Amino acid sequence: MGKNLLTPEEIAIAERCITLSLEKGAEKARVTLTKSNLELCGMLDGELDKVTHALDRCITVALFAGGRFGTFSTNRLEEKELEGFLESAIGTVRMLAPDPCRDLPSPERTAKNAAEGGELGLYDSSIEDLTFEQRLSMARRSSCWKRKESIEKGFRLLSEEGEYSDSTSDTLILDTNGLRCRQYETSFEIGYEVTLEDLSGNLISGYWWDARTFLKDLLEPLESCSETAIRRAAAHIGPKKHEGGTMNLVVESECASKLVSPLLSALGGYALQQKNSFLDGKIGEKVFGDNVTLIDFPTKGGAYGSRLFDSEGVATKEGPIIENGVVKTCFLNTYMAAKMGLSPTVEDASRPTLLPVGGCRNLEDVLEKVGEGILVTGFNGGNSSAATGNFSYGIEGFRFENGKIVHPVREMLITGNFIDLWNHLLVTADDARCAMSKIIPTLAFGEVSISG
Amino acid sequence: MIRHREEYLNIFRVGEPQLRLLVAEALKGGGDYSDLYFEYTTYGNLMLRDSEVTSGGLHVDFGVGIRVLSGEKTGYAYSESTEMKDMVAAARAASAIAGGEGSTGSVNVTPEEAAAILKRSHDLADSFVPLHSNGERCVRKFFPGEPNPAADRYPVEIHWRRTECSAHLPFLNKLEEAVRRRDSRIIKVTATLAFQVTDVLMFNSLGELKYDTRPLASVAVSCVFSQGGKTENRSVSRSWRMGVEMLSDALVETLAEDAVKGIDERFEASRPKGGKMPVVMGAGASGILLHEAMGHAFEADFARKGQSIFTGRIGQRVCREGINILDDATIRYNRGALNYDDEGVPGQKTYMVEDGILTSFLHDRISARHFGVTPTGNGRRESFRYAPIPRMRATYMESGTATPSDLIGSVKKGIYVDEFSNGQVQIGEGDFTFYVKSGFLIEEGRLTRPVKDINIIGNGPRALAEMTGVAGDLIVDESAWTCGKSQNVPVSCGIPTVLIESLTVGGE
Repeated sequence: MGKNLLTPEEIAIAERCITLSLEKGAEKARVTLTKSNLELCGMLDGELDKVTHALDRCITVALFAGGRFGTFSTNRLEEKELEGFLESAIGTVRMLAPDPCRDLPSPERTAKNAAEGGELGLYDSSIEDLTFEQRLSMARRSSCWKRKESIEKGFRLLSEEGEYSDSTSDTLILDTNGLRCRQYETSFEIGYEVTLEDLSGNLISGYWWDARTFLKDLLEPLESCSETAIRRAAAHIGPKKHEGGTMNLVVESECASKLVSPLLSALGGYALQQKNSFLDGKIGEKVFGDNVTLIDFPTKGGAYGSRLFDSEGVATKEGPIIENGVVKTCFLNTYMAAKMGLSPTVEDASRPTLLPVGGCRNLEDVLEKVGEGILVTGFNGGNSSAATGNFSYGIEGFRFENGKIVHPVREMLITGNFIDLWNHLLVTADDARCAMSKIIPTLAFGEVSISG
Repeated sequence: MIRHREEYLNIFRVGEPQLRLLVAEALKGGGDYSDLYFEYTTYGNLMLRDSEVTSGGLHVDFGVGIRVLSGEKTGYAYSESTEMKDMVAAARAASAIAGGEGSTGSVNVTPEEAAAILKRSHDLADSFVPLHSNGERCVRKFFPGEPNPAADRYPVEIHWRRTECSAHLPFLNKLEEAVRRRDSRIIKVTATLAFQVTDVLMFNSLGELKYDTRPLASVAVSCVFSQGGKTENRSVSRSWRMGVEMLSDALVETLAEDAVKGIDERFEASRPKGGKMPVVMGAGASGILLHEAMGHAFEADFARKGQSIFTGRIGQRVCREGINILDDATIRYNRGALNYDDEGVPGQKTYMVEDGILTSFLHDRISARHFGVTPTGNGRRESFRYAPIPRMRATYMESGTATPSDLIGSVKKGIYVDEFSNGQVQIGEGDFTFYVKSGFLIEEGRLTRPVKDINIIGNGPRALAEMTGVAGDLIVDESAWTCGKSQNVPVSCGIPTVLIESLTVGGE
């Protein structure tokens, strides 16, 4: 078994926790044991600035006793500590009001294909052989500070801060119904933030990052991460005021998931049960445009964000969330489903994927097809109402005309309602970033209210 | 709450000789400063939903963070065990920043070697030279002395750890009843109580030993209202560093009143026409704008790295005369109060802007050394898993001399806002955007129709420079604010009613 993954002794602690929970008076219990390791080398202005080593273990116990329920966690895994902890936990559970809706998921709903942990192929064993020197070398190679004079054109690079990191995580879930689910995975990340000063003394910041399951897939050459951050920041030099109006809005894939997350939240069991969702009562109805299809692909092997089970151990499965504008499902865990008298599904989406429409490959194609409007490359604050779906977000980006970017814009806002917005989806690109768990390409909407 | 030092040493099962050996081990391979941060936190939470308290939990976190500084570079590692072998392994991992060996094993520095290493660290600290940027202020390098229980900023009457959870259930039930009694349009109520107690023990290579016990509790209530087929929601909270005694009947009534406040207006509210206009910000929670748009840019790590828009502006005028902005750890029971920060520096009141002049950034030990000034007690961390960085505590602007009605009366056409959420700022550019939860149009000097679902956008330094009126009604807001600059820490914020001459309001 790999370095920094759960050891047989640690797994035995989780198993012992199940037994102890029953011995201390619980009728049912679920135990989740997590272990994670992080190694990080940070750079500041071309020099090593920080190194971090982290190793965490945590045991979380969901207890069902006397028709009551509570969740408890500790990172003190010694047997004596755990015994006292569970005694206190069960004492607390017994003081709560009974809740007949609390239960473990029925065994037929839980994942049966995840007992070993490596089934999805999300573990890169090369992480076990990485040395501090190799990590340091990757961090050093990722900086382009030492050749900044050759990069600085119309600006001065004031600050370059970035880091290389890699991590391992391992999760085991057991319950008193015999559930046994495990998943371990690796992640390799690189990220940079830069600050530039233009010729007028204005500061402009930018960032770029990449995250992969396998080291071999991480952005190469590594210094292109910092270079991309600089290029993206430099593109925002010399913003011009734009009055806004009702116009086309293109949202780059880097930040497009911001407009999808509220749809998924509105389909979450908690929001629906609390009547705090603008999609309440809309399951099965056509709410969005014909061209909106969002599918969850949770079990794709080797793909960032994939998982075979949710936090209850319920098996995830592929299926439509929104299909041709029709809302097809919502996310109900065992508890929320019982509260609402509905059939449970899974607790949330794993890898929601918006299917591309319109035949555009990339951002450039989308700009050409849409013609003119505002391109959003980042959001800056704002909010949306879960109850009404109204939103107002600060944006930064560019004005484009005749399919080409003409100048940067800043201090602008978009306002509207999510249902209305997604009924005005024009086209998308086919450029979703695979480093994200939401697979959302560049989006283009018509008739969006933009103010500046 | 400050207890006796032996209690802390017992919690973490360490002795002072061990602490000295450990920091010496961390510095053996190089580096000029090392510190240890031991933490034992217990969290509890209870939630009332659908009129019953049906869920609750307890959570325990325990460990030690070990930091090595080599100049301004940081090596950091932590251990969830305080067994000496585990702590030594973490110390050696942290020492990698200074070329340490990074291997595991038992301590191999002798007490004599440890004494020499600690003396070297102490001498290095003593050699820091204050720069001119510190003006005439004293550059203090050491913080000796025992924590003083008599100066405790959060004494506790009834201890969370010694009180059964069942004792808190009636409070949540009373709170729900008090909220529902006030408004028949309420269709859902969720009420939560979260409480935590953190024991910390800090030791560093300067030989300073500090300890503290920090209580923190929050009560929040969220309501969903329905009227004529429309729904609105509202959430309010209160949070203090206090014991169980904070769960009073008075708090029930205050929260219930606050939870239903302004709902009539919320149902009537609409988006106004947007554009540039004067904005009057109500006293209290509007202070979040001060925190986000100005406070972060005053944090000295951003200035040290050249990333803040206020870099190099110490001693310059940033706003009108008479305006004072500060960050304060000394407000008794406040969510941002600290006896000591997470580097063992005494909690204090720090003026960033005095009479309109930028006079100080917020410093941890690294930035203080960089700028040649005394640390301001702003070195904070989420837990032992994180190295400390400069963070705010309670950030607010002092009262001015105007009245709120003076400020509103001076505006011909503008907007009054009293509740924000989801603020965001770009540290380099200074641009900010804030979502307005509630407010009113100002027409001919009077508040007229309610507004909602809008954003206010602007630029921090420009907004500060265009602050033309400050009322004498400062309120430090007591809601459960949490700042999320790469780590979460509890903070609070406040402001008197102020007038900003021109901001962009995003509307229809």
